[in-house]
Formats: sequence, structure tokens, C-alpha cells
Amino acid sequence: MKAFDYAIASNESGALAALERGYRPKASGIDLLDLLKERTAAPDSLVSIADIATLKGIREEDGGIAIGALATLEETGAHAGIRKHFHALAEAAAEAATPQIRARATVGGNICQRPRCWYFRSADFNCLKKGGPTCYAVEGENSFHAVFGNGPCHITHPSNIAPALVAFGAEIVTVAPEDGGRTIRAADFFMLPEDGGIMKENVLKKDELVTEIRLPAAVAGQKSGYVELREKQSFDWPLVSCVAAFNGTKWTIVLGHVAPTPWRAKGSESLLGKAAAITPEIAEKAAAASDRGAKPMSQNAWRLKLVRAAVRRALLLADGKEID
Amino acid sequence: MPDNNVAIENALPRVDVRQKVVGSAKYAADQYRPNMVFAKFVRFPYGRGKAVSANVEKARRVPGVLEVDVRIDDYQEMPGGRIGHIVAESEAAIEDAIEALDLKFEHERPLTDANLEKQYNGPKPTGNHEAIRAKFKDAAVVVEALYQTQVQTHSCLEPHGSMVDHRGDEVEAWASTQDVTGYHDGLKGRVGNVPGSKVVVHSDYVGGGFGSKFGLRAEGSLAAQIATKYKRPCRVVLDRDEEHLDAGNRPGSIQYMQLAADKNGRILGGKVHCVSVVGFQRGGGGVNNPVGGLYKWGDIEKSEDEITLNFSIPRAFRAPGWPQGVFAVEGMMDELAAALGMDPVEFRQKNETSPRRARQLQTGAELVGWSERKPDGAWPGRVKRGYGVAGALWPKWPTPCEAECRIARDGTVEVRSGVQDIGTGTFTVVTDVACKALGLDRSLVSGLVGKSFYPPGPGSGGSVVSRSLVPAVREACANALKQMVAIVAAEWKVAAADVEYADGVFHSKSTGRKVPWKSVCGVMKDSVLVAHGKWERGWAGESDGSSDCVQFAVVDVDTETGIVRVRKIVAVHSAGEYVNRKTAENQICGGVTQGISYALFENRIQDRQTGAMVNADFLNYKIAGPVDIPDIVPVLDQDDSDTGVRSLGEPATVPTSGAIGNAIANALGVRVRSLPITPEKILAALEPKGASA
Ligand SMILES: Cc1cc2nc3c(=O)[nH]c(=O)nc-3n(C[C@H](O)[C@H](O)[C@H](O)COP(=O)(O)OP(=O)(O)OC[C@H]3O[C@@H](n4cnc5c(N)ncnc54)[C@H](O)[C@@H]3O)c2cc1C
Ligand code: SF4
Repeated sequence: MKAFDYAIASNESGALAALERGYRPKASGIDLLDLLKERTAAPDSLVSIADIATLKGIREEDGGIAIGALATLEETGAHAGIRKHFHALAEAAAEAATPQIRARATVGGNICQRPRCWYFRSADFNCLKKGGPTCYAVEGENSFHAVFGNGPCHITHPSNIAPALVAFGAEIVTVAPEDGGRTIRAADFFMLPEDGGIMKENVLKKDELVTEIRLPAAVAGQKSGYVELREKQSFDWPLVSCVAAFNGTKWTIVLGHVAPTPWRAKGSESLLGKAAAITPEIAEKAAAASDRGAKPMSQNAWRLKLVRAAVRRALLLADGKEID
Repeated sequence: MPDNNVAIENALPRVDVRQKVVGSAKYAADQYRPNMVFAKFVRFPYGRGKAVSANVEKARRVPGVLEVDVRIDDYQEMPGGRIGHIVAESEAAIEDAIEALDLKFEHERPLTDANLEKQYNGPKPTGNHEAIRAKFKDAAVVVEALYQTQVQTHSCLEPHGSMVDHRGDEVEAWASTQDVTGYHDGLKGRVGNVPGSKVVVHSDYVGGGFGSKFGLRAEGSLAAQIATKYKRPCRVVLDRDEEHLDAGNRPGSIQYMQLAADKNGRILGGKVHCVSVVGFQRGGGGVNNPVGGLYKWGDIEKSEDEITLNFSIPRAFRAPGWPQGVFAVEGMMDELAAALGMDPVEFRQKNETSPRRARQLQTGAELVGWSERKPDGAWPGRVKRGYGVAGALWPKWPTPCEAECRIARDGTVEVRSGVQDIGTGTFTVVTDVACKALGLDRSLVSGLVGKSFYPPGPGSGGSVVSRSLVPAVREACANALKQMVAIVAAEWKVAAADVEYADGVFHSKSTGRKVPWKSVCGVMKDSVLVAHGKWERGWAGESDGSSDCVQFAVVDVDTETGIVRVRKIVAVHSAGEYVNRKTAENQICGGVTQGISYALFENRIQDRQTGAMVNADFLNYKIAGPVDIPDIVPVLDQDDSDTGVRSLGEPATVPTSGAIGNAIANALGVRVRSLPITPEKILAALEPKGASA
């Protein structure tokens, strides 16, 4: 780990002042410290935002729910309002990682965590994402890499909660020194490599801080289901996940851990149309359409079968049906 | 005579459980001495090639750096190859120096995967059984298959490390070793002219070794070299990446088998070709396909070969060679049984070499609910349940061991032996055996191991420690008691034969006088009474030295996703006499856990382009976690013929992957013959039949 200066901010303006001077934000540091230890990141200075009171907690307001950037995965998974109205988000938070990690991991840090690509994480490879000449995954070991997306970087987005945020139309609220900050639709927050997201995975500027995640007011008939499929049942990221959310009029199906961003399964969505009730047959058909547009790599087409299974099950769960 | 009942009645916790839980147990990696320096190897990261440039001057100028030594153009054939070292006042300075070195490498395309490189040129299944049928006229069935196993790294929780303190005329070392005596032998030649008697090695607590912590090793040599040069304590502790790369692995295997059986279920024989997939040089632990033992194999023609890859050399790993071999052999047993239309347990019973295992097959089948097992692939629904079984045996390797019993005037007892506790519970074993032998409880007795100045004992390999140590401890205690009896007899002026001792009280048969343990200790002439004990080959208790076991697995396999959940493992083990229930059951549960991890998860993955290991950590190198571990039922199997302590540590991990492999095949109706059994392989196996929902 490279030596760095360390500051602790007690409020948002303190944090912003530090960010302006080039400090990088640290929430609980679970991902950040790993990156520092591996020297994948080697910032000169860090500012801890962990003590900023205004970033903590979960509030119900204006019919919606505001999740502070420092709220933990555990709090998010256990929150009664989220469990009731945004069930898939609660499940995604509650099933991530391990109990110890969920007790510390913040939602801000979770959506900003860097990808798990083993070439990116290893100091021995200077790949595209680090400014190098090539993506090693293409000709190398890509069993766990993206099955959707055009490259040229083939990471999968590692956040458990990101697909749910996209599916529920959540907004990410930021503050920044220059323009004061903005409100970004979750769907616009995550960035594909082809849209400029090679060296980073989201639209945040270097001196911009996520302050909260806003969920819209729930509507009548809203329902959702979450499924994640894991090789190991803990201490690992899922192989594939899926959020199926019905907003009273239509379904949104968002896949996780299969593309550089949360990935809309548009094939499945169009097949479902406006069908509110899910029968096993409809779920099966929608699942079969989930791989539309897939671009598996040399070793990872097998994960498309998991995508199918996840879509089928998430739909059934969302509609309160048994998974046979 | 060993007492069969003691052991099994003793379910006290480990003597050091508190130290381990609160963190007061100090491992080698916990040793920080005043004035200490740190040393670390500089390593080549890729499969083959060399460093072509290094900015050594810049690295030397990093504050706190004492020494930088890098070999340019030194051709390496493994990721993690050692091309030099750095010595500094802190670990941070070492890291900065490595950065400052700005190493540049040249590397060539390496050999990283036996399948990829198509190096296997042995037999493959062809379906042509003419030759074998010609040889075995009674053959009713012939089965033929190719099995494969992956490379598993040792992944000890405590990394390899040494702290050597050279004080000019004496040397003290703290080592994470599974062989205190061997480490001492290695160290004493490497510390200048300090005599061996002035070299002391401590190995008080060790966080696992599994076969990878024998001898001084490279870390110990470097620590000794630097400590000797600077006359300062030097610490060398590997990080997790180095652990995976250069601290041991279980070689992979490819095993071709073709076997015939007659219509009554008797195996007639066949052909076996075993290939070990090793590093750039061969090392310990190549595949041991146990045809010849385990079952009655008939007439087997066996050949062996090796495939070398660009990786570090393998080392012995908990039951070297056995898990690989048993996975294949037990798979074949089920394939033969299926071809004959026979129940796998019944088929094994017909070919069993050991009456003990025959009994265990029955016990285990009852405990696991074998009667619930359905024909292969016949479990209804998407999630299919499967049952599987596999067995193992473990030979004996008689190994000399010495122990010393020291009784102090205050009545306390220390029993010492120069073996080590690598997490196995050896402190507890010594303590409990001595307590029983001396008729005292743990408040007075301490069993001590892990120091080079204790009487020599074997390294922790071949599961020999407890079996060699227990008789030595008993003899030392018996000899000590003789001396105590002599003291009492002299005091009472009676013959020694008149004095009896039991449960802390000496008693004269003729006069009826009694005196408690502590009072006798109080009148000892010397401040410490010392008695020795030694065990060697041929000791009376060595009647039947081998261990046997059978494990049953219950799995649920999701046919839509290929995800396996192991639900239950029933592990029936006979290891003779058990000293302490908790440590014995721990060995079994630990072995099973490691076996599950081997069966489903662990796998070294090298980048085919460069040879770097892409999963050299604990996030991408998958190891079974708490949620992946099922209900494990350890059964300490014992009968009247079971005398003496036998081996338990290694056999416990041998059959698990075979039992799981068979359970998965039973669930699915198709077989995955390659470890680890991942969702990807299961989905591929289900593909041709379209069995997935
Ligand atoms: C063994 C293991 C298993 C795991 N499994 C899962 C899993 O299954 N699913 C899953 O989703 N995650 C998983 N994780 C990842 C874990 O959830 C994340 O590392 C964690 O959520 C990060 O939160 P943090 O508060 O520690 O962030 P930090 O490490 O402090 O920060 C992470 C990144 O976000 C930036 N950042 C943090 N907060 C803000 C903010 N408010 N504004 C702008 N930038 C910010 C930081 O600069 C840094 O780059 C796992 C981690 C481990 C170690
Ligand atoms: S997938 Fe992205 S992060 Fe991984 S090697 Fe390719 S460019 Fe680098």
C-alpha cells in the first residue's frame, strides 16, 4: 500500500473541500482498502466520509424513501418500508456478501465499488481499465466476465443493489463543489465502456459525492422479486442476479453480474407486455427471451443458462408464485 | 494396555481453546521483536521468462531499505519464482522499494493447463473392450472412463513464516513449521558458527501446515541469512499471494481406468493409467490411485506418467495423492455397480478388503438413510437429491517419538515432547493422556510441545504424531510414577511392590497408610523429578496399525442452475483408541470440510497468456465457507480389536470428494468426472440429454 494523507470530514462541505483538493472519498473502506493493498488504486490522499451525520440513515418522505449514502446494506435489507414496497432491493441488500460485511458496507460504497475482474485486481496486468493497451479477459480466463455488452472492457458490475435501483427507477443524489450537485436516474448513473466507462463505471466526477439514493413513491399493484445464483453461498459475489419489478402497468427486468452495468433484459420485457399475472408458462417464455442480444465470451456462455433460470424465478417470486 | 473407554468418555474442550479464541495464542507471524528487520523475496509474476531490468539504485535509496538484491536474466519457470530479496526496517519500505525497482520482464507463452496444452497422450475411452474381454473371460461388464482432478493450493490460514533472532553467540527462532525437529536441523547449519545446542526453535502455535511446512524452507533460509548477517532479528512472512504461488499445492491428475467385473459383482481387473499434473519440476504428492488397496481389484495393469506446467513444484498435501485417486476409483466403483444393476453399497461389500470397512458401510448406510436413495436420476422435480459413498484406508508409518515427564515439588506436572500442534489438538492429547496415566486432572498437568529443546518427536506428516506420541507419553508417565512410588516406599520403609497408586493417592497394602500426590511431591529430594519415555517400532500396541473410513454424502443438485448444496456427510472412522472426543471429531469435520471445498470449489487458475495465477487470493480462489458446510456427522467407530491410537488426520479428507461425486451422479443420472464439480460442468453434463428443465 502506498502511503497517503488521511483526513476525516465531519460534514459535507468539509468532504467537498477535500475532494476538490484531490482527496478520494472513503466510506467503510471495504473495497477501497483492498484496492490500496493490491495497488490497483494508489491515491495520495483519502478523506473519510464515514462520520458525516447527514449521509446516514433511511428516511421515508414524500411517499418515497431516501437512503443515505452511508446507510448499510444491513439497514437497507431490514428496513420495513423497503421490504414492503421495494422487496427486491431489500433482498438484494440482505443477501450480499456476509453478515459482517453487510453490517459495514454502505450503499454509496456498494454502487461505487470497482469491478472484480481478476486482471483489473492484479498488479501483474496493465489492462484497458488501468490505461493499458489490451483487455486480457478476451483471450484469457473469462468464465466470470460479461455475457452482455460490446466491450472493449468486459467487466461485470459487482453491485448487488444496482439492478434493483435501476428497476425501481431510483435516483442518485450528489453534491459537488462547482454546480452544487445533481440528481441522476440510476439507469443513467452506470456507464458502459463504449459510452466512456472504460476507466470508470459511473458518471460521477472526481469531486462529486453521492449523498443519497431516492426511491419514488410506491404505486398500487407494485411488486417485485429478486433472485441471485451463487456458486459459493457466502463470501462471494453472485454468478448472476435478476430483479423483476412490476410497476402496476409494466415489467422491468434487470440483470446483475452479467454486464458492465445493470442490464435490462429487453427481450424478456417485451415478451411480457402488460401481463400482470405470471404463470409458469409466461415466466418460462420470458426467461427464454432473456439472452436476446447476449455476447458471451469464449468461456462464459454457460452463465446464460443461469440468466434464464434467474429471470424465470424472479418473475414467479414477484407474483408470489412457487418456484417449481 | 491401552484403555478403550477413557478416550471416548473425554469430551473436554481443547486445553488452549481460550488462548485461541481471545487471541493470546502467539503464532510465528505474531512475533515482532525490538530492533527487527523485515525481508521479502522479489518475485517473477509470470509463467516463464525473466526480469530484464530493475532500478536497484532507486530501490536502495528508499528510506529504511538496507539491502536490495535482484537477479536480472535469471530465467524462471513459475509465477512467484524468487529472483532476489529486499531487506528493510519496515514492510512499508519493502513495498516502496519493490515499486521503485520498476521491474521489467520478458515472458513467453507458458504451459498453464493440462487440457489446454493437450499434453495428455495416455489412453482415452474408446468403447473398444475386445482386449479386456479376451483377458477376462468371465467379464459380465466392462467400464472405461477418464477422471480428472484440479490443482489445489494448501491455503494454510497462517502464512508460512519465520522470525530468526541472531544474538551473536546464540540463535532463537519462531517458526510456522510442522516439524520442529527438522526445522532445527535445517536452521543450525545456517547461522554462522553458533553450535546447534545454542539454537532454539519455538513453534508454539501453528495455523495449519497440511504438508507444506516441513523443513527450513526458503523463508526460514532467508530469515537465517539476514539475521546472521545483521545480527538483528529478521522476519520473513509470506503474503496470501505468495502462499498460493510458492507455498505448496496438490498436483492435479488425469486417470484413465478400464475395469471388468463378473456377473456376481466380483471385480476381475483391468487397466489403470495415472498422470500427475505437476509444476515445472515434480515434487511431493502425485496421484495415488489406490488400486491394490481399498477393494479387491483382481489383475490390474498399471502405468504412470507426468505432465509438467509452469507452476511451483507440488508438495505433500494432507493425504498426498489419495483424494485424487479415491475420487476416480470410487467413481469407477459406482460405474461398475450401475453397469451390473447393483446397489453401490452392496457392490462394495462384495469387493471389500477390510471387515472393518464392511461394518462401517452398514453403520453409515443406516445413519445417512441410504434406503431413501433413488435410482440414478430418478429423484422427482427440479432439485434432485443424490446419495453417494466412498471409503479410504490409511497405512501406518511407525515413527520414533520421545517424551519427558517432569514433576515439580508443588505437585504440578509438565509433559514435554518435541512434536508440534499444527491445529490438530496435540497440546490436548499430551495433557489428557498424561492426566489419565498419572491419575490427575488438568489443573495439575500441562502437556507441552513445539520447542526444539524438548525430546525429539516426528514431524506432522503421515498422521503419525498422536500414534507415536501417546505411547511415549504413557511410558514417561509410568516411569515417573515408578520413581514416585520409590519415594513413598522409602519414606514408609516398605517394599515398592507394597505401594499402590490411583487417582492422586498412594496407599500401602500392608499398613493401609495413605498419602496424597502433593504431599509426596513436597518431600522430593530434587526440585524436579524427570522421567523419559520413548516409543519405537514394535511397541506392543501396534497390533493393527491401519485406519479405515467410509463417508456418505447427501446432496441436492439444482438441475436448472447446476448449483450443488451438500446437505449431509456421515463420516464413519476407525482410528483405534480416541484420546479426546472433541479433537478427534474436529479432525474428521475439518477433513470433511476441506474435502467438500476440494470437491466443489478450489481450483488454481492461471492466465493462459502469461501464466500468472489470476485467483491468488481468498476472494477468487474459492474455498467453502460456513454456509456451504452441511450437517457433518462424525462417527468414532470402535470395536474390541481396536487398540492403540491410530491415524485420523489425513484419512478424514480422502473420501469426501468421491462420496460427493457419486452423490451428484446419483442425483443427476449423468456423471461429472472432473473436479471441482462446478455448475458449469453440471450444466454441460446435462446438456446432451436435455435433462435440465
Ligand atoms: C468477501 C466479500 C464479498 C462481497 N460480496 C458482495 C456481494 O455479494 N454483493 C455486493 O454487492 N457486494 C459484495 N461485496 C462488496 C461490498 O459490498 C462492498 O465492498 C461495499 O459495499 C463497499 O462499501 P464501503 O462503504 O466499504 O465502500 P468503500 O470501500 O469505502 O468505497 C468504495 C468506493 O466507493 C467510493 N465511495 C464510497 N462512498 C461514496 C460516496 N458517498 N460518494 C462517492 N463515492 C463513494 C470510494 O471512493 C471507493 O472508490 C463483497 C465484499 C467482500 C469483501
Ligand atoms: S475486462 Fe476490463 S478490467 Fe478486465 S481485463 Fe478486460 S479491460 Fe481490464
